[in-house]
Amino acid sequence: MIVDDLFDLTSFRVHREAHIRLDYERCRPCDHRACTFTCPARCYEWSQERSRVEFAYEACLECGTCLTVCDKDALDWHYPVGGFGVRFSR
Amino acid sequence: MPATPSYDAIVVGAGPAGTTAALAMAQKGLRVLLLERGESPGSKNMFGGMLAACAAPEELIPGFWKQAPWERHVVKRVLTVVGEGSSTSVVHQSDAADREPYAGFTLYRPVFDRWYAERARDAGVTLLCSCLVEGLVLRDGRVGGVRVARPQGVIEAPLVVACDGVTSLLAKEAGLHAGFTPHQLALGVRALFRLTEDEVDDRLGLSGLQGATNEFLGCTDGVRGGGFVYSQVDTLSVGVVAHLDSLTQKRIPPYDLLARFVASPWVAPLLKGARLAEYSAHLLPEGGIAMVPRLSAAGLLVAGDAAALCYTNGLTFEGMNLAMTSGKLAAETAIEALASGDTSAAGLASYEQRLRESYVIRDLKTWARAVDFMRRDQLFSAYPRMVGELMERVYRSDGQPKRRIGRHGLDVARESLPLRQLVRDGIAAGRSFL
Repeated sequence: MIVDDLFDLTSFRVHREAHIRLDYERCRPCDHRACTFTCPARCYEWSQERSRVEFAYEACLECGTCLTVCDKDALDWHYPVGGFGVRFSR
Repeated sequence: MPATPSYDAIVVGAGPAGTTAALAMAQKGLRVLLLERGESPGSKNMFGGMLAACAAPEELIPGFWKQAPWERHVVKRVLTVVGEGSSTSVVHQSDAADREPYAGFTLYRPVFDRWYAERARDAGVTLLCSCLVEGLVLRDGRVGGVRVARPQGVIEAPLVVACDGVTSLLAKEAGLHAGFTPHQLALGVRALFRLTEDEVDDRLGLSGLQGATNEFLGCTDGVRGGGFVYSQVDTLSVGVVAHLDSLTQKRIPPYDLLARFVASPWVAPLLKGARLAEYSAHLLPEGGIAMVPRLSAAGLLVAGDAAALCYTNGLTFEGMNLAMTSGKLAAETAIEALASGDTSAAGLASYEQRLRESYVIRDLKTWARAVDFMRRDQLFSAYPRMVGELMERVYRSDGQPKRRIGRHGLDVARESLPLRQLVRDGIAAGRSFL
């Protein structure tokens, strides 16, 4: 198993609007960027080019890790609209 | 003019706690609305573990454990300590566990939760899926319903039972806690591998729907946590659970820990030829009794993971059974309170008393020190290596004179950690488990 294989197997019903929003201004001063390596779905990634954390909500597993490790209050965190988001089958 | 609420109680979350609460209330004739944000119950849940049989659902549905869609009944428990290039296992297998009534089961949450919620519907519960509760209706210092993302917007009821899972957003909104922190939570990631039923039997030494649980200590690159392999009928759940604060300190992504565990010599042979089928992740409350929030407020009861009723002492891992039991006790409290017309904070206070008298809070108290003990980094690195080194020396036969096991143990211990540390850990272990 290689890590990339993991992320292709989970089923989602993606809503057109993001359920979590990242406030880049609040995020900027963060020096640990724990979200980028604790998120189990790789939703947060450090962009060298834009020198900020980039966030994509589509593959979110809705676990709440980012909400817990973010100490900059940079996340407007909600679950997806009912019926949307991850769908575990087993 | 305010509309008359058409439900006696609203239960948020159709997991084991919520469904049990809803079912128990409906059986007593209450009008219950059970709200679930997933498109079906269980679709947001993952589980790699063993559900210990408990009395709560059996008391509500006679024959519950015979009917429920579990996968295998667990007869074999394996604890493996992974050292530097070695592993040492303790295997416990029991004939008693192979006879009905079974003591523990493996299962799939999307299957189990869905079936269980259907039983609640049979009892008269109104189940509404794909319905996210966005918050509580707070009025005159009490909870009076929930806000949902539906045209009507607000659903009122004299009582809300929050079984909304580990993020526990509703209890937080009601001021029962200030939000759970990384040192109270563990992150579990799981990969599901598909084999055949025979392959699962052969590789784990099982037959006829017998199941095995395998826990691994020392396989997480020094991160506080562990690995697991659980057997379903024709799949293996392989995963890693890691304390969130430790993961943050070590800066190792959870899927990397998982990939290394899957590739390790202790796991890889079990998965030869297996097909990766699904990947999932979930948080677990692991802060023990100290993490349990206030459990009720005016118009609100909290049960299951939302109330942090979940623990591990390193050997047993319990949560679903505590969730079902707390859901049932919440329902008993609700039935009394609604009958007397008093759902004030005082009217619901007996819920906490019920939990304190039950095994739920008592077990959390029993293991209060074990939860703290498990926060020692060396348990997940130095000690597993010591076990491996000791067993290497015990089994070594190289023409040199043998030493007694105790001697080897002392040597290995002294080479690994300062004496003071060993004594401190030894005393703490004694106070936690003896």
